[in-house]
This record gives sequence, C-alpha cells and structure tokens, in this order.
Amino acid sequence: MVTLVRQEIFKLIHKKSTWAASVVLLVLMTGIAVMSHNQPNTFNPQAMYQESFMAVPWIYLFMIAASASIIAMEFQYGTIKELLYRKYYRGQIIISKWITMVLYSVYFFVLALAYSFILKLIFFSGTFQLDETYGAKHTVFAQTVYYSLTQFVALWLILSLVLLLANLFKSSAVAITIGIVGYFALSVVASILAILIKKWTWLKWNPLNMMNYPSQYISPSLKSMTLLSTNELLIGSLVYTAIFLVITYFVFKRRNV
Amino acid sequence: MADTILDVEGLSKNFGSKKVLQNVSFSVDRGHIVGLVGPNGAGKSTIMKAILGLFSYPSGKISIDGRPVSQTSHQELEKVGALIEYPGIYPFLSGLQHLELFSNDGVTRDQIMDIVDKMKMGSYVKRRAKTYSLGMKQKLGIALALVNHPELVILDEPMNGLDPQANKDLRTIILELAKQGTTFLISSHILSELEKLIDDLVVIDKGQIVYRGDTAALESGETKLMVLKTADDEKAKQLLSQNGYQIVKADDVRIVEKDDTRMADVIKLLSNNDIEIEDVSHVHNDLETSLLALLQNDKVKES
Ligand SMILES: Nc1ncnc2c1ncn2[C@@H]1O[C@H](COP(=O)(O)OP(=O)(O)OP(=O)(O)O)[C@@H](O)[C@H]1O
Ligand SMILES: [Mg+2]
Repeated sequence: MVTLVRQEIFKLIHKKSTWAASVVLLVLMTGIAVMSHNQPNTFNPQAMYQESFMAVPWIYLFMIAASASIIAMEFQYGTIKELLYRKYYRGQIIISKWITMVLYSVYFFVLALAYSFILKLIFFSGTFQLDETYGAKHTVFAQTVYYSLTQFVALWLILSLVLLLANLFKSSAVAITIGIVGYFALSVVASILAILIKKWTWLKWNPLNMMNYPSQYISPSLKSMTLLSTNELLIGSLVYTAIFLVITYFVFKRRNV
Repeated sequence: MADTILDVEGLSKNFGSKKVLQNVSFSVDRGHIVGLVGPNGAGKSTIMKAILGLFSYPSGKISIDGRPVSQTSHQELEKVGALIEYPGIYPFLSGLQHLELFSNDGVTRDQIMDIVDKMKMGSYVKRRAKTYSLGMKQKLGIALALVNHPELVILDEPMNGLDPQANKDLRTIILELAKQGTTFLISSHILSELEKLIDDLVVIDKGQIVYRGDTAALESGETKLMVLKTADDEKAKQLLSQNGYQIVKADDVRIVEKDDTRMADVIKLLSNNDIEIEDVSHVHNDLETSLLALLQNDKVKES
C-alpha cells in the first residue's frame, strides 16, 4: 500500500498543474492581503486572516479538479489496465488514490495556514494579535485553525462525491463540473433550500445542507436555517462522505476494464 | 511431463448475452514462446485479460505456477509482465519516469537503462511521452512489460506500429529472454513475424480453441503447390484439369503436387498445346496459408 501511495504521489508531483495550483494559490492570497492592507475598512484584516486570505474557495477548486483527474485520467490514458494487472487488488488501488488526495488536501491547508501566517507578519504585524481573543471564545490563531478543520470536513464531503462521479462517468469533465457547480451553487440555492427545509423538515438531512457546516461554525445563528446543530452537521457530513466512498469502492471493484 | 507455467482450463466468459469465450483450455510450457492467433474479435485479448485477473469469469480455472489467478487472487501476477491492446501512457511523464514508476524495488537504474538500450529508446526516453509517435509508445509499452524481469510475459499485438528494424530488435530480445527461461504468450496478426518466434500455437475462433500444438504439426498437413505463369492461364487450367491434375482456385495456375506429379509432364503437356510457359515455382504452405485453411474449415458457430 505504501508503494501504491508513493506511485500516486510520483504521478502527482510530475504534473505541471500540481505546482501551478500552489503558485496560483499563493499569488491570489498575496493579492487579497495587499488589498486588505490598502483598504482595511472594506477588507477587514483580521477577518481576512481567519479565512486564510480567501484560500479556501481556491483549494476547493484545485482539489475537485485533482480528485476528478486522479481517477478519470487512468481511464482516459488507458493506464487503468496497467494499474490493475499487477499483484495489487482493486480495493488497494482506489484506497491508495484516496490517501494521496487526503495528503494533497492536507498539504493545501497547511500551505494556506503557513502562508497566511507569513502574510500576517509582513502586512499586519501591528494590526491584530494572533494570541488575542478579541471577545471570542478562542484566540485568533486557534479560531483560524478550527475554521480550516471545518472547511476540511466540508471539502471531503464534496470530494467523496467527485470521486464517485469520476468513477461512474470515467470523465473528469463531468465530475469537475458537478463538483464545482455543487459547491458554488450552494450560495445561490441556499435561500430556496431554506424555504424547502421549512416546509419539509426531513429535507434538512440532505447532503447540500451539510455543506453549511463551516459557515454555521463561524455564525451559529445559521441554525435557524439549517435546523441542525453544528455537531449534527459535522456527523452528517462524515456519514455522507463515508457513504459516497463506500459506493465508489464497490463501483470501482465491479468495473469492467 | 513438461514444466507448465500457465494453465487455462475450461474458461468461459460472457459479455451480456454474447458468449465471448467457450470452454477454452490450453497450457503453456515454461521457456516456450506461444502464439495466440485468430480472427478479429475471436477473444484473444479477452483471454489475456482473464489471465491477468482483470475480470471475473463464470466458469473455468486459471493458474500460474500451479496457483490460481483470478480477479480476487492476484499474488502470482507478481511474476507476469504484460502489454494488452495498446500501451497505457501518462502524457506528462517521460519514458524513463514510466519505467521508474512501474519498476519493483529490486530493479536497478542500470537494469532499466539496459532495456532502454535494447529497445533503442535512448534518444527519446527522457522526453515527455506526449511527444511520442505510435511506435515509440509501443516500444515503451513493451519495455514496461519487461522491466521487472517477469517469468511470464503476455504481449497483445506487440508488433503493432513497429518499423522493420524495431521488429527485428524485438525478436532478438524475445528469443534471448526465452533462452534464459522466460515464457511468452504473444498474439499477433502479423503471422510472418510470429512464425519466426513461436514454438507452439493456440488458434482461437469465435471464442473456441480450434488448434493447439506446435507449429510444425500444423504446417506439415500442408499441400505443396506448383505455380505456373503462362501466356493463357485460363486455357492452361482447363487443359490441366482435363488431364487429371487438381487445380486450386487462384488467379494464377496452381496445381496440387502429389507424389507422382512431375514438372516435366506438365511442361510437355502445355507446350504440346502451344501454351507458352513464362514462369514455374513451388510454394510451401506458410503459417498464414495453413491458418486460413484451418479457420475456413473449422466448424465453429457463432453463438
Ligand atoms: N467490454 C466488452 N463489452 C462487450 N463485448 C466485448 C467487450 N470486450 C470485448 N468484447 C467482445 O468480445 C469479443 C472478443 O474480443 P477480443 O478483444 O478478445 O478480440 P480479439 O481476439 O482480441 O480481437 P482483435 O484481433 O481485433 O484484437 C468481441 O466479439 C468483442 O466484441
Ligand atoms: Mg485484441
């Protein structure tokens, strides 16, 4: 299994897009930091820091693309046979891909947290203090880390679905499209969803509602819309992620190549 | 009894309601080069995929070195290297990176470069595979099948896209490895090339085995032919068959040579009737002719 994960990482780091994504992320974060520095009234520095200078939507975008392609490329390039006719089993192959993507997403979050820290030192050394609470429950630093963790949970809810779709359709285009539309459509359909949930309360258990977990963690008042507690959202997200991954596992095992 | 490395017994496979393989049985002796031939869609690639544990099959047994291989038992595939249909290649990796990626821990850089040299891939192996031509990709696919020094090598149409020189190089490599004890199962439509390599032959038609044995036995059932070119082939054919010669249907004049067929008699007969002879030759049935005859006469029905 270690060998398989190593092979997946070898492929990942030899793709240009892997490095391009990291560079783009850092450039965009720097851009936001500069804007926040110049117009602190519009872009509150502390709030920007706590959102890792808007890194999260980009991490979603890059991870959705990477997860779709780690599966779909094997079908597209015809390399799936080569992967499967070795001494390894199908289950091991798909799990090695998941592990690789988990590592890659952890890398992105650590990179964003570390670079946010650097940006804070460069642009906002006197503006706010990381070890202050400013009336909140946790320090600014702890708050940022916790928020990243909630985002990580929500990201994996989407990624598990993207991995499943890439397996079903063998096409990264379909998986990426649905993943990205799903993520960005959330803000659009949020109000509609809220109305529907009010009408049929059982709808609160739908996976799209679970995507509100990070937002509700930041602003607990969202509970009036999601009708679920923050912990219920966390558990719901994890359960849906597990369900999607299990389905993917069996789809991949049964696939004819 | 010979040392068997691969054994396929009673293998059947359906795709939907279509029976693609029916009760296929054959075995491969260690160190032999075995040809797997048959028309398009006969099931050659399907057999190879089944051996490689790529799908489950409703009935049959496959074993390598006496141990079973199936979709759920892959352990023996450690000893196998393969190229199926077309090589799977990552466009963003170089040839060398492919070989590094798929080589086992024990394989050294020198051993990888040795295969690169033998396949004459040195000039482009460090370039990204996106820029490779068809034949370059094919060579890389073959190199990937060989890189872990497998005991059994399965090659599906390996000559696909190779130039004459590369074909010859491949033949040299295969023969050399076979001498050292590597076993090969090779499918190909280029029978003239295959003929130079193989010890044994498995012929499959519409999912069923129609011949299994050595190549010599298939070709010895051959008929020798005397081929004539004359000024008037039609008249010559008529005349010869009137005189008791057996004529084969063809554009030129082809007489089946029997023990008492003598060229002098044929020439005399034709010249006595003022038919000018331009050329005379004998042909032996090659693998292609024998095979075509075999496939024409087998009684396998589509199901
Ligand atoms: N995935 C599949 N789904 C349905 N039918 C298939 C599938 N793969 C192969 N077949 C059918 O199985 C039969 C055998 O195919 P196979 O690829 O083994 O032929 P082949 O002997 O390798 O032919 P060729 O010389 O053209 O490579 C064909 O009739 C083909 O249509
Ligand atoms: Mg084939």
